[in-house]
Amino acid sequence: MTESVEPRRRLHPLTPLLRGANLVALVVAGISWQGYRDLGTQGWLLAVAGVMVVVLAYSVVSWFVTGYHVVGRELRIYEGFVWRRTRAIPLERLQSVELVRPLLARLFGLAELKLEVVGASKTEAPLAYLPADEAASLRGRLLAIARGRTTSAAAPGAVPGAEPGAVAAAEPGAVAGTERYAEAGTEPYAKAGAVRGAEPGTWVAEPAAAPPERVVHVVASRDLVISQLLRPHWWALPLAIAAPIFFFAYDNDLTFVGVASMLTAVVGAVQAPVRVLLGDWRFTIGQAADGLHLHRGLLETRSQTVPSGRIQALSVQWPLLWRGMGWVRAHMQVAGVSAGRNGDTRGGSLLPVGNVPTAQRVIAEVIPGFTLTTVTVHPVPNRAKWIVPLRRRVLGYQLTDTAFVTRDGLLTRELVIVPYGRIQSVRVRQGPVQRWLRLASVWADVAGAGLTPAAPHRDVAEAKALATDLAERSRAARRSHPAKSR
Amino acid sequence: MTVFTIWPEDVEWRRVSPRLFWLELLSLLSGLAVVSALCLAAWLIFDFWPVWIVAAVAGAGTLFRLVLLPRSLKSWGYAERADDLLVRHGLMVRRLSIVPYGRMQFVDVTAGPVERALGLATVQLHTAAAGSDASIPGLPPQEAARLRDRLAALGEARAEGL
Repeated sequence: MTESVEPRRRLHPLTPLLRGANLVALVVAGISWQGYRDLGTQGWLLAVAGVMVVVLAYSVVSWFVTGYHVVGRELRIYEGFVWRRTRAIPLERLQSVELVRPLLARLFGLAELKLEVVGASKTEAPLAYLPADEAASLRGRLLAIARGRTTSAAAPGAVPGAEPGAVAAAEPGAVAGTERYAEAGTEPYAKAGAVRGAEPGTWVAEPAAAPPERVVHVVASRDLVISQLLRPHWWALPLAIAAPIFFFAYDNDLTFVGVASMLTAVVGAVQAPVRVLLGDWRFTIGQAADGLHLHRGLLETRSQTVPSGRIQALSVQWPLLWRGMGWVRAHMQVAGVSAGRNGDTRGGSLLPVGNVPTAQRVIAEVIPGFTLTTVTVHPVPNRAKWIVPLRRRVLGYQLTDTAFVTRDGLLTRELVIVPYGRIQSVRVRQGPVQRWLRLASVWADVAGAGLTPAAPHRDVAEAKALATDLAERSRAARRSHPAKSR
Repeated sequence: MTVFTIWPEDVEWRRVSPRLFWLELLSLLSGLAVVSALCLAAWLIFDFWPVWIVAAVAGAGTLFRLVLLPRSLKSWGYAERADDLLVRHGLMVRRLSIVPYGRMQFVDVTAGPVERALGLATVQLHTAAAGSDASIPGLPPQEAARLRDRLAALGEARAEGL
């Protein structure tokens, strides 16, 4: 069933309109206030209208030539009009799947499916836009193939003229999972049992094979708001407001452009925390058979599934301003996902804010058996003070039963946690000053960008032993779970 | 016990070809030539004599590295252990990489025009981590081919991927 070539499918017909709208918004932002003043209202409107026509035509053509289908264990995506591109994505290599619903797309009941594979600098194959239920069921299907489960078991009986109810009954887990998610307060994405256009021989959206989800934690909105107010970005706000007022008082010439510039400056100053606020609203962490589920977002909702074993490294941060509240935040590193670390949620936020027990529970889902509270790092030797006089107190590492843990950061304390099985290679480096002090630094390389756990400035003998130990433990971990990843 | 080197002593290090000296020499000298040419141009055009200080510093640096070059080349070494490849090098800044065969994604063998003229090649091992740094320059082509085939075979036998 899965081996037979199913027909190519198109994206939703409303796609050109939505994508066009996004592009036009970009162009308008590109023209900026300066351009608005130069062009005048009429010229500006004309320019925007012209851009709109061009963009719309481009979007329609692009929609017309874009298609996708599943062939065997691959997802194939066809795109491009002048430069044709067919991309085959081996689903065993799938690192993470994200269902994104921007505000505009939500109004039309559409969704975007983002697949992440290794070796891609940006998100591979964003399928935008699909009907929401179709996107959800395609995600379930892709994840099932990625897990190595043949989808043919569910399909043949369900295909000809199947009724949604029958399918739902056949897979009670799927429905339960969706309902659980709905209870968690966010909009239910999938009407799990919905089978569309059930004609023999055509591609049929299978019941969303989403296994039941166990909610691990929901971030309280109050905590998120307070935590984002406790970020240094807000200190720039008075300056952003005061500067134009100062110039106004000096110049006595309040123009529209001046006010607009002030607004832009204010937005720019606080956009990072506001983005987190909007992006991580009702952050829900769930665990299911197909991996870790992360749901979040206020205007634009995102729902990400990371298959187990795909998380390469974790980091837990204690920002200075949060220490009074006893809060931490956690990030994850998934290969292929560009990791935004400093609170940018595009990458791998795992827990935007929470106390240590919460972080402990979340991390235990990712690295079973890891206890955050028992981390006690080995300090660096005293003589490292000649190289790192201040950081000497925070630097350190620990070899726990399951993971390599390193600590760094004076103001924002950070623990980087790597399961031994995810270590790709080990490096030791010794500079001239380090050699004089008989010190050396050890790195454990991990797939993906952002986190590289390092144990800097260790005693030479200790560094050598650590490097050997890491290589040994990484090998042992891989031996015991060989099938976990590819 | 005092340990002075970060490199394990209990493995058998294989050395790179001494012909690598000429390659390094050429790259050092060409670097110096570029700096000198820029300085000369700046002096001729702007008549700005302090550029010669830059040239002198560059010359001294080159001389220093030239003196250390033989020892620096001797520091290159690699060892094929049962489960991983070790690569070491560096005189001032010492480096050691441990790359398990199973983590290897692909192997590169490259040879630039000068390397080809000298009969040398560079083997580089890539893992899924961008930080991994295991490249061995100055290998004779047969040795490079042997290493490549062996690494590829070992990598396939122990493939663990990410």
